[in-house]
Formats: sequence, structure tokens, C-alpha cells
Amino acid sequence: MKKTKTMGRKFALLLVLCLSFTMMLSACGGGNKAAKNDPAPTPAENGATGNNQGAANGGGEGTGSPLDLALKGEYKGTKVTMFGPFVDADQVKFENSIKEFEEKTGIDIQYEGSKEFEATINVRVDGGNAPDIADFPQPGLLASIAKTGKVIDLTNVLDQEKLKANYNQSWLDMATMDGKDGKIMAGIWNRSNVKSLVWYPKKQFEEAGYEVPQTWDEMMTLTEQIAKDGDPAWSIGIESGAATGWSATDWVEDIMLRTTSPENYDKWVKGELPFTSPEVKRAVEIMSGIWLNPDYVYGGTKSIVTTAFGDAAAPLFDSPPKAWLHRQGNFITSFFPETAKVDEDYDWFYLPPIDEQYGKPVLVAGDIYAMFNDRPEVRAVMEFFTTGESIKSWVQSGGVIAPMNDAPLDWYMSESDRRMAKLVQEATTLRFDGSDLMPGKVGAGTFWKGMTDYVSGTASLDEALKQMQSGWNN
Amino acid sequence: MARSAKRKGSKTIVNIVLGFICLLWLVPTLGLFISSFRPAADILQTGWWNVFPHQAWKQSGETVQLSKDLDLRQPIEVNGKTFTDDQLKQGVMVDGERLMWENRRQRTLSVMERGWEFKPDLTLDNYKNVLSGKEYKLKNPDGSESVQKGTGLSQAFWNTLTIAVPATVIPILIASFAAYAFAWLRFPGRKTLFVVIIAMLVIPLQVALIPVLKDFTSLGLNGSYLGIWLAHTAFGLPLVTYFMYNFISQLPRDLFESAFIDGASHFTIFSRLILPLSVPALASIGIFQFLWVWNDYLVSLIFIGNQPGVQVMSMKIADLVGSRGNDWHLLTSAAFISMLMPLAIFFLLQKYFVRGLMGGSIKG
Repeated sequence: MKKTKTMGRKFALLLVLCLSFTMMLSACGGGNKAAKNDPAPTPAENGATGNNQGAANGGGEGTGSPLDLALKGEYKGTKVTMFGPFVDADQVKFENSIKEFEEKTGIDIQYEGSKEFEATINVRVDGGNAPDIADFPQPGLLASIAKTGKVIDLTNVLDQEKLKANYNQSWLDMATMDGKDGKIMAGIWNRSNVKSLVWYPKKQFEEAGYEVPQTWDEMMTLTEQIAKDGDPAWSIGIESGAATGWSATDWVEDIMLRTTSPENYDKWVKGELPFTSPEVKRAVEIMSGIWLNPDYVYGGTKSIVTTAFGDAAAPLFDSPPKAWLHRQGNFITSFFPETAKVDEDYDWFYLPPIDEQYGKPVLVAGDIYAMFNDRPEVRAVMEFFTTGESIKSWVQSGGVIAPMNDAPLDWYMSESDRRMAKLVQEATTLRFDGSDLMPGKVGAGTFWKGMTDYVSGTASLDEALKQMQSGWNN
Repeated sequence: MARSAKRKGSKTIVNIVLGFICLLWLVPTLGLFISSFRPAADILQTGWWNVFPHQAWKQSGETVQLSKDLDLRQPIEVNGKTFTDDQLKQGVMVDGERLMWENRRQRTLSVMERGWEFKPDLTLDNYKNVLSGKEYKLKNPDGSESVQKGTGLSQAFWNTLTIAVPATVIPILIASFAAYAFAWLRFPGRKTLFVVIIAMLVIPLQVALIPVLKDFTSLGLNGSYLGIWLAHTAFGLPLVTYFMYNFISQLPRDLFESAFIDGASHFTIFSRLILPLSVPALASIGIFQFLWVWNDYLVSLIFIGNQPGVQVMSMKIADLVGSRGNDWHLLTSAAFISMLMPLAIFFLLQKYFVRGLMGGSIKG
């Protein structure tokens, strides 16, 4: 009798505990929701005032755009937080490029870099701790956050006319994403990288009497000639830890742009054209013409998967070079030996077209800046980032290309960078790195994995393509 | 006689097994340690064991010049013997010497002989870069280069210490109180409460990240030391409470009874008897908690962020590698520097493990 009584008491106590616990939890949740709903009307109001300002600006009088106001010192002493993936040397370059703006306006841009940006940004946004501005190297990631409605639509924040004048239309199209209700302008492009580049050791290349190929066939002839002369032409490495395989996807994307229409490329990126389609298969086959020929690759095909992408360019700088060609984006120069000089020791040529009818397509990547909190000073900073001025000193120190039109070519300190900027401006088709646009499961998952399995020989081409496609299916 | 021999035999086996496990652990650590003194280019090319004297193929100075228009895809004839290109790439043995391409383009083969090699090329650069900050070369608009020095580890070191010490002391203090109450006080719901706390052990902290972050945001605790102390305390409490309970509940009851008879209050018993007696347990759980906080990356990543003013060591070290991992060789030396503090703590507190405070405490 007594025993049951104590049991009952215990049970009641447990129940009370559980109840109070859940109540505490729900109370917290509720409070949070309320807190979140509170600031919501403010951006809307701000949006309205922003519109008025824009209109006033158009009318010829008024106070000017947020950037003009900021330059007048209106927002002195305010803080804008920024979160992005670049750290170390890139962070120093970035901070140098915004220093002048900070001094002029008195706005303190607090940049926080993290190697784990991709993993952290989702948690921060979900936890209500989003930075004012976030820098996304992968638009696919921004697209998934934009869908939740947490990204501020820039259509009414920034002057569209100015943007159209300052960016190639392709860039603006790439910034338009699906919001919670309809299309929104999710961000603006600030830095870009060019990917369709083949690096070569210039001095020795000329001494050996080789010529820069203008077509894919010429490039294959050159490859064969270098092989006959005694060296493998290409140095390729796709190892990159958990991201192994990404440089292989760049090759496929580049060849896709050269063998099929941009529309097909867009469909492929959206998942409408499957990996198993003949277009994609053909692109991988053309790539295999180089990759799977042990005479053409430094260390043979089997070393591709085990060579780190950053170390892959090293044989170009041996004396004499052990390999002669290396296809990689312009960021790879930060891996080159410090003693090697641009334009003298090394240079690049444009990865030649395969099919003439598709012109000269260029594969690019870049950083898109999105805004999460709408305050006047954040608007000013965003507007600043649409100007070439915001990236001037970075451009001058090398390694990035400005996507804005008001960044003149003479900012580039090396001939090599200048030619890259020109290449982007004159490209017939500009397309973003497809694997960065695809959802993470495909673009940073099965696509990488499938390419790695194919190159290492664990999967046949058809099996690998099926595996890549499976990322879309589930 | 026979029995003691058997004992001895099994002891040797145990020692051999232990020695083997130690070796398994030590070899990679040693490799990392040696790597931390090697220049970046060397790390990329050869393994760390190359710093020791070893036998290697060396150029003997002789070369064999083949005809310049030799087709490399055909069998290649060298001094009357034929080889394939692959063989010459790997190196092929001929009369105790090795033939290998020296310059394939020029069609020259080098003759190599085996010999001892001992030229360790060691440097302190990795440690310098990590401790005092990397130097960034930046191009100025006029084409000249300027050098900008990055920050070293010192700021991050103090930040980590500021986080780790309270994040170790607070949970242990709370948990000791709780453990005493669970073990020696009688109050309703004692067992249930205890079970609930133990149940918390199985909840992975990852599931709590977003809800806790939301609450921290509304309280304005993100990016502050107080926030991360609370987070570490909360995540650490279940284990620490359980550990302290196990220890405190094993203390002999007679001790407290005599103290009660002498008129001691619970607080007196706790501060005069329990705390001094549980020093070994406090020391060992202190080491655990301190190590966990010191090495933590995830919790700091979410709750305190990467602003230089509050950045912890583990994040600073991850950043050293560079945006694209181009400086990963610095991890070797950074790992050893960050290891120093936990090692110091361990050796400092280690004597408390050994010293059995219980000895003779109730017999007297």
C-alpha cells in the first residue's frame, strides 16, 4: 500500500516536471516568435522610406542615395556586421579595400571571417543571429536561404538603373532568385574569379617553340607534341579533402559550355537536363581524352585523385618544367611559388572553344553579398559594394576580377589580370560555376563524388553519371 | 615458483602490448612534431622520416645521353639493353646502379648509386609564423610591395584562457553542490531529478544549437564571454554532476554522521569535508572539462564567433591555413603550441590523481 503511494507520488512528480519543462520550452519559443515579429514591420517602413528617397533622388533634389548620405557623414559611428568565408591574406586585402570608405563615412564595418562559413550561416540565420551582410561564394546556398524569406529583397533598396549601368546583365540575372513570394534580387556581386584559364610556364613555353592554341584541336595537337617531346602536358589534381572532385566539375562545366548551348547548360544546372543525357556524357568523354591518357597527365591518370588541387600546379615551375599546362581559376596564383613572376615566368591562355557556334563562353565564379538586416547604414554599405571603388585595392594587389563596369582596366597591375578582366567583359556567354549553383546534395555531393569515382576508375562512365544524377532524385 | 614465472610471463605480454599501443600513438605525434620544423616545400615532397640518416639514391654525376629524336613510346635501348619508358620513369637497376630519366625532354638518363644521406633541413619559420603572425605581401598601386604583419596567437590565447577557466570552474562548482545534495540530502523527487539529469547525457549538443542561439539572440548574449560560459556550463553539467555524484556518494557515511553530531551544518560539511576529500575527483573532471573547452571549435563557432577580440585558439588556427588551405603546413606547429596549455594543466594536476586522500581518514 505504502509502496504504491510513493510510486504514485513519484509518477506525479515526474509528470509535473515534464509539464513544467515543456511549458518552459514553449514559453521560450513563444517569446522568441514575438521578438521576431516585432522588428518585421520596421524593414517594411524602411523600404517605403527608401523608395521615397529614391524618388526624391530622381526628382533632382532631396538628400541623395544612402551612399551619398553616408559619405556626408550621416551614419557616423554606426556599425555594420559582415560575415564571410575568406580569412587570412584575403581578409587583409578585403579590410584594406574598405578602409578608405570606413574613414570617410565613419561607418565601422566589422568583418568576421570563418573557414566554416557554409556550415555556420544557416545556423546563424535560423538562430536569428544573421549578420547585416553575408558574403556567399556559392549562390546555391544563398538561394536556399532566400527561399525562407529571410533575405532582404534589394529591388527597392538599390537603384536599379545604376545597377544595370554598372553590371553585365548576366550578373544581375544570376542575382535574381526565388524568394518567399516570387522573384527577389537576393544580392549583389562584388568579386569574381575567372575559371576558363589554362596556365603555362611562359618563358620555357616560348623557348620550346610551342604556340598558344586557338582551338581545341590545336590544343590536343600541342598536348600530343609535348608528349612526344618527352613530358606529360597536363598537370591535374582534384584532391581537396572532403571536397575532392570539385576541380573535375569545373572541367565538365567548361566543356559543356563549349559543346552545347547556354540554355542547355542552364537546364542542366537546374536539374532539367539529366547527367545521363548525351550532352553531359559527351563533355565528360572529351575531358577523358586528356585525363585518361596516361601520357598526357603528369604522374598518370591514377595520380589525379591523390594530388591536391593546390599542389597540382607545382610541376609547371620545376626547371625544366615537368608539366606544361594547368587548367584552373585565377585564384590558383596564390599557390604558385613566391619567386615566380606573372607575365614573365607564367601566363595563361583561354581554354579554347570546341564548337565554333557557341562562341567564346567564359566560366566564372564569384562572391554574392546578401543583406539580412535593413538599416540605412547597411544600405549605404551595400550600395558601396556595387561600386568598383569598393574592391579597387584588392584588384590592384591581384587575384580578383571586379565584375563592375566602373572598374577600369588600368587598375589591374599585371597584364595577365587585365586580360582576364577583358575576357570577362567581352565574353559571348558568361556562366557561373554550375556545381556552385546546383543544390548542395548534387553540386557539392554526388557531382564531386561521381567524378572522383570515374577518374579513379572505380566506376564506369555510365555508372558515374547515374550516380551524379541520383543526387537530384532523392 | 612456476606460478610466479607464469605471472612474469603474462606481465611481459601486457607490457609488450602496452608498448605497442604507445608506439602506435607516439609515431604520428612524433611525425607531426618533426614536420613542424620542416620547410613547407620539404613537407610537400618527402616524408618526415627523411630527416633521419637513411639510404637513398644519389646522382653519381654520370649521365647517359640518348639520341634526341628517340621515340619514347617504343622500347628504349640503353648500352645494349632495352627498357620501356615506364621502367626508366621509375628507375631501373643495372649492375647495382640505377638508371632514371634526368631530363626526359633532353633524353638524358642519370646513373644513380646508393648512399647514405643525412642533411636535415630544419627551420623555426613555422613557429615564427604561428606565434608572431604571418606576413602578407601586398602590392601597392605604384607596383611596389608592402608587407603587412598579421596577428599572432597571443590574443587568441588569452581569449581562450578567459573562456576556459570560468567554463571549467563554474560547472564543477555547481555540479559538486548538486552531487552532494543528490548523494546525502533527502528531498522529494531526488531520484527523478537525478535520472533527468543523467538522461541529458545522451542529448547531443548539436540539437540544442539553434534553440539556444535563438534565446541568446533575444537576450543579447551572442558573442559575449558570459554567453559562452553559460553554454559550456550547461553542456558540461550532466557529465560533471554524474562524475561528482559517483565520487561523493562513495564517501563513508560515518564521517558525516560524526560531523553532524558535532553540530556541523550542510555547508560546513560540504566545504570542510567534501571538497578537501574529493580533490582527486575535482582534479580529474577539471582536466576533462578544461580539455573539452580548450579544444572546442563548434560551440565557440556558434556562440562567440570569429571577431578578433573574442576569437579562440582553435578558430585562429583554422584560419591560419588560409581561405583555400594553401598554408596547411602551419597546422603542424600550431597544433603543438595549442597542446602546451592542456599538457601543463595535466602535469600540474596529475599528482592529485596519485595522492589518495582517503587513506587513514576514518581509521584514526
